[in-house]
Amino acid sequence: MSPRIALVMGDPAGIGPELMAKLLAETPALNEAAILVLGDRRVLAEGERVAGVALKLDVVPETKARPSPGRLTMIDTANADPAEMPTGKVSSLAGRSALDNFTRALGLARDGTIDAITFVPFNKEALRSGGNAFEDELSYAANYFGATSRHGEFNVVDRLWNARVTSHVPLREVADLITEERLIDRLELTTEAMRAAGFDAPRIAVAALNPHAGDGGAFGREDIDVIAPAVAKARRLGIEVDGPFPSDTVFVRARDGHYDAVLTMYHDQGQIAIKLLGFDRGVTVLAGLPVPIATPAHGTAFDIAGKGLANPEPTRRAFEIACRMAQRASSRQ
Amino acid sequence: MRSLPIAVTLGEPAGIGPELVGLAWRESRVRALSAFYCLGDAAFLRNRLAAAGIDLPLVTIDSPLAAAEAFPAGLPVLQLRTAVRTGRAGQPCVADAGSVLESIERGVAAVGDGQARAIVTAPVHKETLYDAGFAFPGHTEFLGQLTRDWPGGGQPPVMMLAAEELRVVPVTVHVPLKDVPGYLSTGLILHTGRTVAKAMASRFAIAAPRLAVCGLNPHAGEGGRLGAEEREVIGPAIEALRADGLDVSGPHPGDSLFHPAARAKFDVALAMYHDQALIPIKTIAFDTAVNVTLGLPLVRTSPDHGTALALAGTGRASPHSFIAALRLADRLSSR
Repeated sequence: MSPRIALVMGDPAGIGPELMAKLLAETPALNEAAILVLGDRRVLAEGERVAGVALKLDVVPETKARPSPGRLTMIDTANADPAEMPTGKVSSLAGRSALDNFTRALGLARDGTIDAITFVPFNKEALRSGGNAFEDELSYAANYFGATSRHGEFNVVDRLWNARVTSHVPLREVADLITEERLIDRLELTTEAMRAAGFDAPRIAVAALNPHAGDGGAFGREDIDVIAPAVAKARRLGIEVDGPFPSDTVFVRARDGHYDAVLTMYHDQGQIAIKLLGFDRGVTVLAGLPVPIATPAHGTAFDIAGKGLANPEPTRRAFEIACRMAQRASSRQ
Repeated sequence: MRSLPIAVTLGEPAGIGPELVGLAWRESRVRALSAFYCLGDAAFLRNRLAAAGIDLPLVTIDSPLAAAEAFPAGLPVLQLRTAVRTGRAGQPCVADAGSVLESIERGVAAVGDGQARAIVTAPVHKETLYDAGFAFPGHTEFLGQLTRDWPGGGQPPVMMLAAEELRVVPVTVHVPLKDVPGYLSTGLILHTGRTVAKAMASRFAIAAPRLAVCGLNPHAGEGGRLGAEEREVIGPAIEALRADGLDVSGPHPGDSLFHPAARAKFDVALAMYHDQALIPIKTIAFDTAVNVTLGLPLVRTSPDHGTALALAGTGRASPHSFIAALRLADRLSSR
């Protein structure tokens, strides 16, 4: 059975519309999945114009949305008039429409109509002014599902995944948040998410917190007292994990094929490396929710929106990951 | 000046340092390296290099001034007074700490006496030195102490990592991550920025260097939402550096500064902590990055890797970073 993927229109003022048009114009996308597009038809039409493609879509009412392989089905959410949202500008109208599209996709996932979601970039500021009271899309979706199970965000470049123990917190609070419980939780989530994405036994490298992994305790004890025991415990739980490794070379090891994933302790530790390893190919995965979500790692790129310059590669890769994760999800049912 | 040799220390005898010195000499002709000599124990070096399958002639010299002439025929070795007693590959021994320290002391002295023009240090094994009573956090602080009374000495040294693609300076270095915010101060960033700017002009021939300063927190604090240091500590330092007339930008989010387009806009980046500097340089230039100590009254470089004990004795260690360190020391001391 083909995976059923909801493709969600993001911020109409950014590069999302042209990216979606480019992706939908490619035959591999059509062959891989049953696609359901959620967005304002006028916004996608604008994307087609910019991308120089013409799409053939079956526009259907939401209640009759049954995506099928080989054709493009669209729910016209009719919530964004391009004339009211100038390209390259943050607006609450644009944010509200993107949030509406996303919310409808979450609803279709809950109803079992779709198996995975890919959205083209949202603008966080527009989402906020358009009604998102949460930190980010992940928290919004988690709240939507009332999710109590573990979930989290991953950055993916090529075959390398990056998960983090802490993210948007001041650096001075990081060390106190590094606990055995949190590490095990993230390692289990990483293993589950990557299995869903097609890695049978993902090999995870854990980054150290301190310089030189603490250098025997001289530069901090957490690597010895907290992280190493957590890694040992995770291994007893059957997780393929090594570390802690000095964080300046852990990504080089992983890139060279020794590991499939790196678990980092804080935001910049992962983000600096992952952006250097493939900023133009990065995908963000939200896993652990009732529906897997994959989206290009870049933003709305207002500076180049509407010019047809946007690179569709990260969107393509996000879509491929969504397809893989959807297949696992639907085969479990 | 150019005719003077570069002094190379032995580093931890149990590590890969001795092999790197030999491998570098073997490549010196192909790579047109300037003359250098090793401050070591000739008998130990001969054994280690032979055991590692690194075949080369050693020439014992009794003064650095003889190094340049001896260099084409073999690796010049200036015999230490303290012999390497054990020096077993992969097994650092506290009994050898004396030769490690003497090698550094005499290298520094040679530069001070005008017999060498720069020093390149091979990696040391800190724990062994600590066990032997070494009271400095690392190499760099020790060099600061040794040159304290020299003209221009006595300034806190600053560590820079340099590769073709990127130069980056960690403002705090060997500090537990949780202590970084405590160590970070406007004064420290200011001192670091000034030292860097001065060295860029005097050693790197960049008279008006462009400095880019990283934030401490994710997204450089995101306007205070993710941390206050950018506004309270880093911002004022940037203002003060600008008041000196320097070209300084920031605070930038740490993850926004290191891709090629961003790198084109600065000559050197100031990172707030060790791994914020080391992650980008290792990812970009894994085995060609070099450690340069700024603010010392002498030119000192070193490879940016450690003793690699597991590789020691195999002859398989990559000499790229060590050779890059020799080259950079050569360039910085040719002016």
